This record gives sequence, structure tokens and C-alpha cells, in this order.
Amino acid sequence: MQDATLSLRGLTRRFGETLAVDDVSLEVPAGQMLGIIGRSGAGKSTLLRMVNRLLEPSAGTIRFGGTDVTALRGRALRDWRASCAMVFQQFNLIPRLDVLTNVLVGRLNRRGTLSSLLGLFSEEERAEALAILERFDLLETALMRAGQASGGQQQRVAICRALMQRPRLVLADEPIASLDPRNAQVVMDALRRINREDGLTVLCNLHHLDTARAYCDRIVAMREGRFVFDGPPAALTPERVREVYGVSEEEFHAAPQGSLAVA
Amino acid sequence: MSADVAAWKARVPRAFGPTPRGRALRWLGAAAFLAWLGALLWWFDASPWRLWNGLDKLGVIVRQMVPPSPGEHWDAILQGLAESVAMAFLGSTLAVLIAFPLGFLGANNVVVNALAHFSIRRVFDLGRGMDQLVWALAFVRAVGLGPLAGVLAIAAAEVAVLAKLFAEAIENADARQTEAVRAVGGRRILAIRFGLLPQVFPVMLAQYLYQIESNTRSASILGVVGAGGIGLQIAERIRVRYWDEVAFIILLILATVAVIDTLSAWVRRRLIGG
Repeated sequence: MQDATLSLRGLTRRFGETLAVDDVSLEVPAGQMLGIIGRSGAGKSTLLRMVNRLLEPSAGTIRFGGTDVTALRGRALRDWRASCAMVFQQFNLIPRLDVLTNVLVGRLNRRGTLSSLLGLFSEEERAEALAILERFDLLETALMRAGQASGGQQQRVAICRALMQRPRLVLADEPIASLDPRNAQVVMDALRRINREDGLTVLCNLHHLDTARAYCDRIVAMREGRFVFDGPPAALTPERVREVYGVSEEEFHAAPQGSLAVA
Repeated sequence: MSADVAAWKARVPRAFGPTPRGRALRWLGAAAFLAWLGALLWWFDASPWRLWNGLDKLGVIVRQMVPPSPGEHWDAILQGLAESVAMAFLGSTLAVLIAFPLGFLGANNVVVNALAHFSIRRVFDLGRGMDQLVWALAFVRAVGLGPLAGVLAIAAAEVAVLAKLFAEAIENADARQTEAVRAVGGRRILAIRFGLLPQVFPVMLAQYLYQIESNTRSASILGVVGAGGIGLQIAERIRVRYWDEVAFIILLILATVAVIDTLSAWVRRRLIGG
């Protein structure tokens, strides 16, 4: 298997005057589950969205194995997006389509445009989607409209859609921020499962430190667009949190006014 | 893989397409629809032969339209056009003012009583049943020839249309926003003012602006029955087959509509943004 290290070099993104991500470098070896923590506005979302090129970097490069991701255009760019699946905070399912079709959407990049426009998914694809749904206990929802599933189910459907892409890595942008604690756990378990069982690299934005500590192999902490910590969960002690953020862990979690805006 | 597919097909057959019965019904439905289309075409004798002949004559007219020419009555054309624009503006404004309260009355989340809602909606239907041209004929008899009849015809015909569109926009509004206003202890009328109106205002404004544009175009036909505007100029020239002048007037109307469209896009951006 070819080298599947994701490496970011001097990655920067400006929005007008503000530096959302400021000269960030990072190596993520294949199969790692990486938690990116930080408060709202720290640049976590911007970073993830640059990795699958939903946002263009202002400077710096993204490499995956031997490929320069920042240089991809057209077909190659769409292929890259298919191989780094995105899981969104608000799930981004198509509520009016059934769960099965939402999962099949994950395969669009690998199919002919015309047959996709007509909704002609093959029986093999349908069987594969059903098998993925069954793996995450969602089989009974397969024919239900996605909008009618619960929040936790919807996020797991989104993970199934991601798997249907047959990705090399998964980017999860605050995947549990819209869920209650119980569903949050189910969803995090699902992400760890695809990391362990399918060997997928997972980059996961989180803003609860305990979740990051419980689920990730490695944590990087962002503040004002820069990395202020990079290490194993055990190294992110309360003292270290105070050191890098200047506040205690409770204060870190206490959301400041207006922090609901997506970073 | 294929054994897998077969197993899944047995377990979740509906994931692989409709049941044979469902499929048969779909085909039947599609066939009935096509048969109905065919029957209607046959009824109106829409043979390719007739269409081809018509095309031929249409071609003659198009040739006579080139090059478009203003003819000798510039002033009459411009006056007619100005009249049409003014009629559309007045008529649409009048229609919006009347339709605004009616829209709320016709929305089932404002007037909750089912019978009341049903009756109000049927009144809207009645209003929509009468076309602008019929209204125009009626108003020409009532208030005499000229643009006033046209203004009233536009207003009367659009009130019911706008009321229905407004009512539907209100019904599709997000109930959570009104809920929030009720939850702070606001009266119902205030819940409508702060929870509902901000949601439907952009739709109403867009409709209003569209009506002005659309009625400028349809005002060109009202003149044919004597209700003022550019239509009279067009009708007169068609009667004597001055197709080049007709073409000129049509181009002028197009340009006018384009200008209105640009203006209304600007107003929309200023007032609702985006």
C-alpha cells in the first residue's frame, strides 16, 4: 500500500484581515485518530475544510502520500474529495431522500453522471450500502426519510455515507456538537470503529477535552489559528490546558457569548 | 458478491426498487398520462402538417418585422408605454395593499378555524377564476375607456393571486420563531408581527416587484380592449399589418421590462439582502 501520510506545510488561510489559520504544519500518519481541539473561532473548521479543499488555502501545501493535494484540479480534485470523507456538525444529509439513498450519495464520485442523475444505483451498490447501514444498527431506517431519523441516527447515516465513499481518511467537523451526550457517545464510538476496524485516518474537531482524551490517539490544540499543543492525550493535563489557553478546563468549556457561530 | 446481493434482496426487497405491483402501477400511470396528452392533441387537430404550415406563415410575419421601425408616431408609442408602466405600478401596488391582510386571513396558522380557512381560500379561488382581460372588459364598461380601467383590472385580477401566494408563504413559515415570541409573553398579533412578518416579508416584496414587471408585460394586452396602455398601439398596427412597427414596440417593451428587472433586483438587494 502506498504511503498515506497526510502532511500540512505552512498552511495559512486569511479572511480579509483576520488570519483564521496561521502557518500550521502537521504530519498525520496513516491510521491515526487525531483530535483537534480549540474554542470556537480557533480555526479548527477552516483547517479541516482546507484539507478537502472546500476552502482554498491562502498559503502552504497539503500533501497526501505522494500527491500534492493543493495542486489538484477538476476530476483529480473531486477524486481527492471522495477519498477524504467529510462528516459535518449539522450532518448535511438530504432530509427528503431516504436513508439508503443518502448513503448511496457517497458513491457518486465513482459512477457515471447519467445513471446517477437517473438514480440508477446498481444492486451491488445497494447491497453494500445496506451492509454498511446494518453494521451501524441502522438497517431498519434504510427506507425512512433521512429527515425523520433522530439526530444521533442522522449523524451515523452521515458516517455510513462517508464509508460508502471508500475513503482513505475521514474529516469530522464537530460531529457531536449538535447531539445529546448519549448520542454523542454512540457517534464517537462509530468514528473510532471506522478508525480501528477499517484502518482509516480520522481527523476530528472537538471542543470537549474529555471526548478528545477518551477517543483520540493524539491531540493537537489550536488557539488563534496556531497549534499550541501536540501530543498524546495523557500529556494534555489540566495544568497544560491552563498553560496553553490561560484558563482552567472549566473556563475553557464555558462557552463565551456568541460562540455558537461556526468557527 | 452476487450471493450477497441475492441475500440482501431477500431481506430488504424494497431497497432494490418497487414491488411488481408498484412497478405495474407506475407504467400504467405513465401510459395513461401519455394517452391523455395524445388525445388532447388529436382533439385540437395538432397534426405536424398543420404546424408546419403555420410555421411558414409565421415566417412571413417575422420577415416583415425586420428591420423594426418606430414609424411616424413616436409620441403615441412612448405615451402608451409610459401609461402601461404606470398602470402596472398602480395596479400592483393596489393589489399588494389589499392582498396583504387577506394573505394573513387565508393562512391556516393565523386563522386556525378550518371552516373559516376553507371559505376564505374558496373566495380567493373565485377571484382567480376571472382573468385580467375579463376584469378589463367589465371595468371599461364601469368607469369608461382608458388607463383607470386597466389599473382596476390589474388590481382585481392580482389581489386573489397575491393573497393565495402570501397565504402559502405564511403557512410555510417556521413556527419556532412565532413560538419564541409567544413564549416571551407577546400577544398573537405581536407574534405575527415579529415571528412571522420578517420571514414572509422577503417573499411579499419579491412578489410585488415581480408583479410590477409581469403586469408591465400584460398591460400591453389590456389596451386591446380599450383599458389604456401600449396595447392599443400594438392592436392598431397589427390590424393594418405594420409588423415592423409592432416589432419595434415589442423590443421597446422588452427593454422596459429589463430596466424594471434591474431596478427591482437593486431594491431587493437593498431591502432583503442577497
